[in-house]
Amino acid sequence: MSSTGPRKALRIIGIVLAVYALLVATHKGEFWPFSIYPMFSQAGNPWTRAVVREVPPETTAESIDWSTVPFENVAGEPYPLAPKNINQNDVANYVSKTDDWAPGRVQGLRSLFTKNRTLTAPLLVYRVRGVLADDTVSVSATPVMLFAPDTTHLNPSPAARTLGSTVAESSAAK
Amino acid sequence: MSASSSRSFPLSLAPELFGDDTPETRGDRVYFRLLELFILVYAAWFCWDWGFYIQQNISSVLLPLGLANYVDVSLFFDHQVALINASLVTLLGALGFFRLWRPAYLLALISFHFQYVARYSLGEISHGSNLIGMGVLGLGIALLAFRSESMRRRFTFGYLYFFIGLGYTSAAVSKLIGTGLYWPDGRHLLMWIGERKVDTLSKFGAFDPNVLQDLVLTDYRFGTAILLFGLFAEAVSFLMWWKSYRYPIVLLVVGMHIGIYFSMNIFFAASTYLLILLGLPWNRVIDALLSSDPSGEDRVASQKAPA
Repeated sequence: MSSTGPRKALRIIGIVLAVYALLVATHKGEFWPFSIYPMFSQAGNPWTRAVVREVPPETTAESIDWSTVPFENVAGEPYPLAPKNINQNDVANYVSKTDDWAPGRVQGLRSLFTKNRTLTAPLLVYRVRGVLADDTVSVSATPVMLFAPDTTHLNPSPAARTLGSTVAESSAAK
Repeated sequence: MSASSSRSFPLSLAPELFGDDTPETRGDRVYFRLLELFILVYAAWFCWDWGFYIQQNISSVLLPLGLANYVDVSLFFDHQVALINASLVTLLGALGFFRLWRPAYLLALISFHFQYVARYSLGEISHGSNLIGMGVLGLGIALLAFRSESMRRRFTFGYLYFFIGLGYTSAAVSKLIGTGLYWPDGRHLLMWIGERKVDTLSKFGAFDPNVLQDLVLTDYRFGTAILLFGLFAEAVSFLMWWKSYRYPIVLLVVGMHIGIYFSMNIFFAASTYLLILLGLPWNRVIDALLSSDPSGEDRVASQKAPA
């Protein structure tokens, strides 16, 4: 092999590297397939996830306790997402990254459960939050939304619907 | 470091990444084609899997990624567009694999990119497919920039070792910038295990910690040891740029992925399998299986073809 081959290859690597750096620098570290791979870089910070519970058919918005509870005390029965081919990260992203539950955003989350299928029982979506406290992880859950087969109810407290508000509330409470 | 040595550093990498002192064997060629096939099959699989998911579940863009910042990708959500796009990636992959159209792989990468940004428009940023995407890009450049199959092979392998090593080392740097030197504190692993517990309950309705997780939950200092190993493995990953460290370093990263799987129930399948393909001298195994004689007629003067 002539030496021009490796040199040409190296030049191409340099060009790809420059494009890589430019794209991730201007797109918050992510421009697939380029990435600075920031996963797990924010260690120890509180995390927010989601769980979905199936509640009895007679459940109404008025009969639900919308307050934050320890994770062990969430209402209803498990509603496993994997058998429904719903990615739990998608649900978690909706409840953790929504600042304003505008109708389009509500419908976007609802469609994860109702697009091309029907609900047989009401579903209660919880936002679950974990914080490090005295070398253990304290986990609490706040109901965000109730999906009845024909309608959707948000947590009546606007402050409890979004993570930002909840954090502010928690800080104020301290 | 003197100015001359800093100038020569990139040049010294060229033979490490792309040079090869030994003549090409059948094992080298078969190994490359198998690696190429692996990347293409995985790319097609991702696109079909995402295509069905987009069709079934997604109806809005929560977080625009990549080209979705400039193009409305909501057209992928209905009318089977995501499945048509998956068909396109598969077709272009086949055209490239059989060397029927040289731009095919790079065009497949664009369709692959759109499929990714449509699938992850709900806010999740998944890194499970990044190495496969980088692989398609490397194959695309190789097919377009080089006419010699030998040089395409050497470029693709060197490119993969370079960007994979860079990516993992970048991940270690991100951790040290994002958290600091105390990133490996075992209590951080406690937090991630708690997070995974909620995720697993959400996915399957039940969670049973394994032995490693039990160990960390009992005493978080075991977590410190696990995180130290992970950070070390990532930090030294760039050493795979040099031939003499390559296989041990790649296998170290495979070990880190196995550790992630057992401690956090997260399996980066595509990345792990690709690393296993890159972390052992499979060309020599294939040579042995084909009973080729490395000093005889199996050797080819592959360098005759122009780059």
